[in-house]
Amino acid sequence: MLKKIFTAAVIVAFAIILLKGYGFSGPDQQLNEVAERYAEKGPEEVGAANLVTAVIVTYRGLDTLGEVTILFLTASIIGFFLKTRREDLTAPPQVRKTSEILSTASRIISPIIFLFGAYVFINGHLTPGGGFQGGAIVASGLVLMLLANPLKTVNHKIISVVESISGISFVLLGVLGLVLAAGFLDNAFIGPGRFGSLISAGAIPIIYIFIGLKVGSELSGIVSNLQETQKEEI
Amino acid sequence: MVEPIYIVASGLGIAFLLGLFRKTGESLPGLIMLLTLAFMTFVSGQWLISLMFEGGTPQYTYTAGFKPPFSINLLMGQSEAVITTMVNGVGLLGGLYLLDRLKAQGVNSMIVFLLLFVGLNVVVMTRDLFNLFVFLEVSSVAIVGLVLLERSTQSLSAGFKYLLATALISGILLIGIILIYQYAGSLYIDDLVRANLTAVKGGMVAVFLILIAVALELKPFPANGWGLDLYQGAHPGLGALVSGGFATAMVFVLYKLLPMAGGGWQYMMATLGAVTFIGSNLLGIKQGHAKRLLGYSSVGQIGLLMIVVGLSQHLGEALTAIACGLLVSHFLAKSGLFWLAGIIQKDGLRDWAVLRKKPFLLVLFGTFIFALVGFPPFPSFFAKWELIMQLSAAEGFAWAGIVLFGSLLEGIYLFRWLGYSIKLDHQELPSFRLPWQKILPVGISGVALYILGYFATPIASGAGSLSYLPLAFIVLVFLLDFLPARVKNVLSLAGMAFYGYMIMPGLYENDGLRFLFSIIFVIGGILTLLPGFAYTGKRRGFYPAALLMFAGLGQLLTAETLLQFFFAWELMTVGSYILIIRGKRSMRHGYTYMLFSVGGAFLMLAGFGIAYATSGMTSLEALGQVTQWAGWASALIAIGFMTKTATLGLHIWLPGAHAEAESDVSPMVSAILLKAGVFGLLLLFISMGAESAGSKPLFYVLGWLGAITALIANLTAVFQEDAKRLLAYSSIGQLGYILFAFAIMTHVGWLAGFTYTINHFMYKAILFLVVGGIVMRLKTHNMYEMGGLIKRMPYSFIAVLIGIIALSGLPPLSGFAGKWLFYNAGIEKGWYLQGGVVFFSGIIAFLYLYRLIHSVFLGQLKDRHRTVKEISPWFLVPAYVLILGIMAFSANPEWFLKPFGQITAPYFPDSQLTWQSDGTAVGQLGYWNGTQVMAIVMALFVAITLWLIMLNRNAKKVKQFNIVYAAESPETPETTHISYNLYAGYNKALGVLTRPGITGLWNWISEAVTELADQVRRIYSGNGQTYVLHVLTYVVIVYLITTGGL
Amino acid sequence: MEQIGLSHIAITTGILLILTGLWGILTQKNIIKMIIGFSLFDTGIHIVMVGVGYVEGKTAPILDEAVQLKEAARQIVDPLPQAMVLTAIVIGIGITALMLAYALRLYQKNKTLDIQKFNDLKW
Repeated sequence: MLKKIFTAAVIVAFAIILLKGYGFSGPDQQLNEVAERYAEKGPEEVGAANLVTAVIVTYRGLDTLGEVTILFLTASIIGFFLKTRREDLTAPPQVRKTSEILSTASRIISPIIFLFGAYVFINGHLTPGGGFQGGAIVASGLVLMLLANPLKTVNHKIISVVESISGISFVLLGVLGLVLAAGFLDNAFIGPGRFGSLISAGAIPIIYIFIGLKVGSELSGIVSNLQETQKEEI
Repeated sequence: MVEPIYIVASGLGIAFLLGLFRKTGESLPGLIMLLTLAFMTFVSGQWLISLMFEGGTPQYTYTAGFKPPFSINLLMGQSEAVITTMVNGVGLLGGLYLLDRLKAQGVNSMIVFLLLFVGLNVVVMTRDLFNLFVFLEVSSVAIVGLVLLERSTQSLSAGFKYLLATALISGILLIGIILIYQYAGSLYIDDLVRANLTAVKGGMVAVFLILIAVALELKPFPANGWGLDLYQGAHPGLGALVSGGFATAMVFVLYKLLPMAGGGWQYMMATLGAVTFIGSNLLGIKQGHAKRLLGYSSVGQIGLLMIVVGLSQHLGEALTAIACGLLVSHFLAKSGLFWLAGIIQKDGLRDWAVLRKKPFLLVLFGTFIFALVGFPPFPSFFAKWELIMQLSAAEGFAWAGIVLFGSLLEGIYLFRWLGYSIKLDHQELPSFRLPWQKILPVGISGVALYILGYFATPIASGAGSLSYLPLAFIVLVFLLDFLPARVKNVLSLAGMAFYGYMIMPGLYENDGLRFLFSIIFVIGGILTLLPGFAYTGKRRGFYPAALLMFAGLGQLLTAETLLQFFFAWELMTVGSYILIIRGKRSMRHGYTYMLFSVGGAFLMLAGFGIAYATSGMTSLEALGQVTQWAGWASALIAIGFMTKTATLGLHIWLPGAHAEAESDVSPMVSAILLKAGVFGLLLLFISMGAESAGSKPLFYVLGWLGAITALIANLTAVFQEDAKRLLAYSSIGQLGYILFAFAIMTHVGWLAGFTYTINHFMYKAILFLVVGGIVMRLKTHNMYEMGGLIKRMPYSFIAVLIGIIALSGLPPLSGFAGKWLFYNAGIEKGWYLQGGVVFFSGIIAFLYLYRLIHSVFLGQLKDRHRTVKEISPWFLVPAYVLILGIMAFSANPEWFLKPFGQITAPYFPDSQLTWQSDGTAVGQLGYWNGTQVMAIVMALFVAITLWLIMLNRNAKKVKQFNIVYAAESPETPETTHISYNLYAGYNKALGVLTRPGITGLWNWISEAVTELADQVRRIYSGNGQTYVLHVLTYVVIVYLITTGGL
Repeated sequence: MEQIGLSHIAITTGILLILTGLWGILTQKNIIKMIIGFSLFDTGIHIVMVGVGYVEGKTAPILDEAVQLKEAARQIVDPLPQAMVLTAIVIGIGITALMLAYALRLYQKNKTLDIQKFNDLKW
């Protein structure tokens, strides 16, 4: 009890610190220097209609690389952490049968989900969305499939090949930026295209496709690994 | 030149590529991983060389070519090059070390390993706050992943706790970042430094949150249970990476971000560091688990670096050098230790005794320990020296004190551990496997410490032309350690002789005082090395240690600057420690010796700091130019030296250390080593001056200390059963005389002091040599188990007889000269009461000297000693050489005393002692002629001897058992022997003075400290939730302290 | 503080979520519940981030029919926090997944999810 009171006191103190930090001075009335520059020069320098994408893929591309890395890292860790040993899988797991509705619907919806995911990452430089969102959508399609058929085994080989190839391509595109254009991850080594159309913003769509594939395969890998480990339990 | 971005690009690219190799087996991916790490090391090393030595310019890398703050940029400057090289280097070696583990876990684990280093490189190079966060997360997640190289419940729970805590910390960091962005509109660190955010109300909180998060990543005490559990639970290979790689990078991050805050915040950071440094090292004292102990030590060292970074504004240009010196030593030593832990796979500190099976691992272990505490010739020594000097120069004496105190605490557990591994009795020492890829990283770390130490020398103010030639010779002898002892003995003697030839003529020309001591150190060294020929076998480790000690002693004399002196002092300490701990039962004594030495050296260092600060000089003359706090400086330095001269209160290490040492080591450490303290005190006394107002009370106190030391030590010597212990206590007493004599600070007083110094050197060497030789023959130290040896060892008897006559101060031998001068000086000075005490202790000396000669040589020969042989000539020869010295001194005291007078004259010109042409010394109170006294006594001796022979002409010779002998039985049990507890009566009357009250006090202190450590460490309950609460509470408390309220 | 704006609501909600999450991490004994606490904590931070980037009365930083190219600087909210929050979310996912994997293995080893039972390393 005493501990809870103490905990509560600490949290309250922390809350006060946070409130002081935020200050509640009211929302900004205008953009700061950095954001203003993105708004004014972004379309011209990067060519992406979606400025968030411009920031993510180009201005702060290194963050994105790090972000992809973290997912890859997590997927790898879970891959070797939860690796199922063959001998653990001798007894066939018993699973409750999934409902007819779920399994039927998943067969119809899953491909559409995959398609939608692909749409989202291909159009990441134009509309809300992008590689991560698209990738997550793709992975959610896989989750649906697994829910419908828990005994389904996912082909890890394909996942890991897609994952690796797209990761390497991302890095190589970055290096191409360094070699052919102004710097690492510069998208301008491919012509800018017409602003606002699908073929625009230099290398961004290509990068986003790879990111989308990579995120999709990584999330799928994580989910299926977790799911397979669960089979051991049942 | 390869662009720095390729470090990141290659690491990432290859990591992604390795994903394709998941099914192809592990050998190829392992090789690729190592090659990539090698490439990364190569690139950063290339930048290091270019920026440090070739005047290259720092390189900025902009994402997509846009300038910050609009894009992320990476900087490869000098510090970045240093840190990334270190990080990548530990990655390469650590990868090699863990290769078999990684292969067993599959390609995925190699990917994780590689990404850890990608993350750390970006963390070091990036100049963007959010980017820093992202790659910090990469590193943290990778560490959590690598915890799984070990799959026990322990490592799993440790990993989870770590994950929880770091998740909270990075959350706090993220909040700080977004707030910073709100106030500054930029994430570019240089912008943030310029923006002076702490002036804005909310900006202050933002800066606080960021800095506290970085501080928490450094695992500050006491909010670091999660970190310690990780060190303990995880594979030691990971411990090395976290301690050597991650912590190194994080210290640099702190350095990079701290300028965002103002001065007051920097003190806060230094304070957090101080709490960590002291607290963590304190808790280490009670710790018995090797990996956890390494964790405590790591955290402590990082605390020290937090102090350095926090106080950067006071360190000026020296900052980089100090930080790098400390960082690189910790980095190499700690990774080396973790790797060692993985090789021997023993968790208990006591089980590290297995290291003895592999001497070269033991040497590496010792190297790491000495480097951590900051001994020469390692970079940490120079860095710590410079740190103390700069802190003192900025009048940050409290900080200097904290640094030294924390280092002492660290020494307490590190040297205990070293002692265990060298000497602890162990039932079975199982052998262990030594795969080359595990040995190589440890070896490289060890060798690198020496090499970098050499290059780090200029860090320290006053390094001047520090000579590494003697050390190079010692390394050579060490490499030849496989040779038989005799060969190495010849080599060592040659080295010593050459060294003497190099330094002694110069000293003779210029400096009488130093020349006198060079006789003791060099000639004494040669004489005490001779008994080494009596030993067979290899005597591994003996010669490098002995030479190290002598090199230190020699360099004390050639030192021109404070640093050179301290360097020599520490070398001597290391060498003598190894010599002492070689004794059979010396583990505890060597340990005590080391603790007192380290403590004393740190006090000395503090005193030197004051001297440097107030005089602004690095040379030894600084000691005489202390303008402020002179009393403090003198007292600190004096106490430092007195730990070596074993003045009462600081003496408890000596009896055991000297008594248990090997037979030829005892004379080295007793007759020679103790004089180093005397030499130091003399330097100090000279520079203080007799008449300065500040020094008078100090000299008065020292005089009394000397007198009481003499009394108590002599009395204790009387009650010893162990011959070597008796001699050891006698040494303490004699050093008390010497202290007393020099503290008188007059011409005659100093003459007495010199006479005692050279006398003690000669007779204590004789006595320890002979007694050591006897101990080698009889295999016992106990005097009551000896007796009647005069028949078997007549030459030894004569040597001891002459030794004790000289020691007792009876005419005609040289001890009398000392006594005579001594009383003259005491009376002149008016120190009657102290003089009385000294006189009384001189009489007590007769008691133990009588016991020595009587119990060992006279009386009945023991049955089992009937066929014992005379002691080895290698012990007798040096003893007789010294006897010649005593005889010469005794017959012609003016030969020696006149030069002593010349030595003293510059300091005390008003001599009250004059010499007549026939060698008679005339003082205020009388006169004395050594030659005449010698002649008279000799005549008397001859006359009495002749008379006795005449009387004995009719005596009848009987066999030993042909008489009824009273009160003494040559048979067992020895305890009924008359020699046992010979002075029981005196013991009843005066024994109370010899009860080990001071030992009791020190024991009490050590128990109290250990108990405190045991109580405090219970905050680490093992509950991950509590650890998270610690973290959050830490944030709140530090906030309250920094801002003074909510 | 003249009126309660959108960003105030977002940030207050965010901070409340942060605190709730902390309470969960610090008081729940069940590891899964602690992980949920962490998720809340993380989400709270993300909301605060988005709130900070908000500019009164502006729209999403996508240049389409709603936003003129020339007028962009006066019409959109700050894109940078949005980019950052995306990264932060992904990192959060990674950490949560890792925590769950740990929880799974811890449970398999010790058949318990009580955080207090995992204290064999201490002092």
